[in-house]
Amino acid sequence: MPLIVAGPVGQDAHDGGPHPERPARVNAVMDGIGDLRLGTDLVQVAPVRPTGEQLRRVHTPVYLDELELFAHHGGGSLDPDTFVTDDSWETAMQAAGAGLAALDALAERGDGSAFVVARPPGHHAERERGMGFCLVNSIAVSAAELVARGNRVLVLDWDVHHGNGTQSIFWDDPDVLYVSTHQWPLYPGTGRPDETGGADAPGSTVNVPLPPGATGDVVRAALDEVAAPVVSAFAPDWVLVSCGFDAHRADPLAELALSSADFGALAEVAVGLAPASGRVVLFLEGGYDLPAVRRSAAATVAGLLGDPYRSEEPTMGGPGLDVVRAAGVLRERSLGVTR
Amino acid sequence: MTRRVVVGVDGSSAATAALRWAAGEAVATGAQLVVVHAVGLLEHAGLATAPAQEAREDVVRRVVEEAGLDATRLDWRVVDGEPCAALLRQAGGADLVVVGTRGAGAHSGTLLGSTSLALAEHAVVPLVIVPSSPD
Ligand SMILES: [Zn+2]
Repeated sequence: MPLIVAGPVGQDAHDGGPHPERPARVNAVMDGIGDLRLGTDLVQVAPVRPTGEQLRRVHTPVYLDELELFAHHGGGSLDPDTFVTDDSWETAMQAAGAGLAALDALAERGDGSAFVVARPPGHHAERERGMGFCLVNSIAVSAAELVARGNRVLVLDWDVHHGNGTQSIFWDDPDVLYVSTHQWPLYPGTGRPDETGGADAPGSTVNVPLPPGATGDVVRAALDEVAAPVVSAFAPDWVLVSCGFDAHRADPLAELALSSADFGALAEVAVGLAPASGRVVLFLEGGYDLPAVRRSAAATVAGLLGDPYRSEEPTMGGPGLDVVRAAGVLRERSLGVTR
Repeated sequence: MTRRVVVGVDGSSAATAALRWAAGEAVATGAQLVVVHAVGLLEHAGLATAPAQEAREDVVRRVVEEAGLDATRLDWRVVDGEPCAALLRQAGGADLVVVGTRGAGAHSGTLLGSTSLALAEHAVVPLVIVPSSPD
């Protein structure tokens, strides 16, 4: 089975100096993929240029114009977390365009899986605001493109932070199911189980917050017990994954306790939720410990392709199974489901 | 029921101006003052930039005392989150939300990164945006 790598993007650009969201993250992912020695099964594609229409489906014209101008005037910071440099706009365009290239490559081949190895990340970026290291919401650009082509799209977000941007962009869109597991409490402060979608798309958002220390088995339970029934009723045509590696136990930005092997298992779950081969695309989001990112990227791609690869043991026994079950109950209650 | 005034602080001078105004309002109306500091990604990891390091309880207590507010009416809350979402969450049931014109990091002359503007759009209780005093 082929792996399509879209990119790499951002391995020598959008450099904020001493900041954890740094170019070397992309190299760590590419090194992890390289460790698998996929040979001719590895297919690299270059980004396409997103059109204005594709960008405006998920961001306001005012925000896009301001961000482009801000970068072209040298940039600065959007908030205490988020920097913009003179090449950030161009890099963000390539990152969004890498996602679109991955869709085209998969649609053309009809099999395999794709990994968009690009930064800056995107899932915190809202329609009219960048934040949390994110400028343009790349996964949202791709999801909206698939919807425009008549598809139903699952966005699965296992980054350790809640993807407030993606959730809010598709809040009222019944064609996009947004599912997130994330540490709670933690930045950005959204992602409670009773956030279940807007009036036009009730139930189209699934949030499972997890306590610090939660292990791989707990994340799996969240997907198997809370998300999977919703996903199978939704019947997605495509599965896009906000693939952060910051839920790894070595990550400096959060306190979940996953190992690289757990990401491999999560990738297998993503493949299982897709209706056919050639319908899963991973987008790099967070992940700030470079050795952990490298091992996790390798394990994730191995999981995608069904290859055996393990550098760490899967983790289990951490706290949070009760929280997962309570989240399922809270979600149903907020949707008015009685049982 | 006691009135509640909620104010966001991030260590910036604009936020301190807002805190001073909110404390005065709490003194004048007999309200409880809830001071919220939202912890961002870098601060959570101990990598905070300079202004966030100033958003500390002792700094807040000093400003509030100077405004003449009884210390028992101060409720200091540190929550992980983006400032707009954190304030909206803490503002449930409040009578007033107070913020400065610009948060730490956000630039003048641009809409980018403006918590106060985002709040203005989403607030469900009255919102006061306090201009910074000229330096
Ligand atoms: Zn993250």
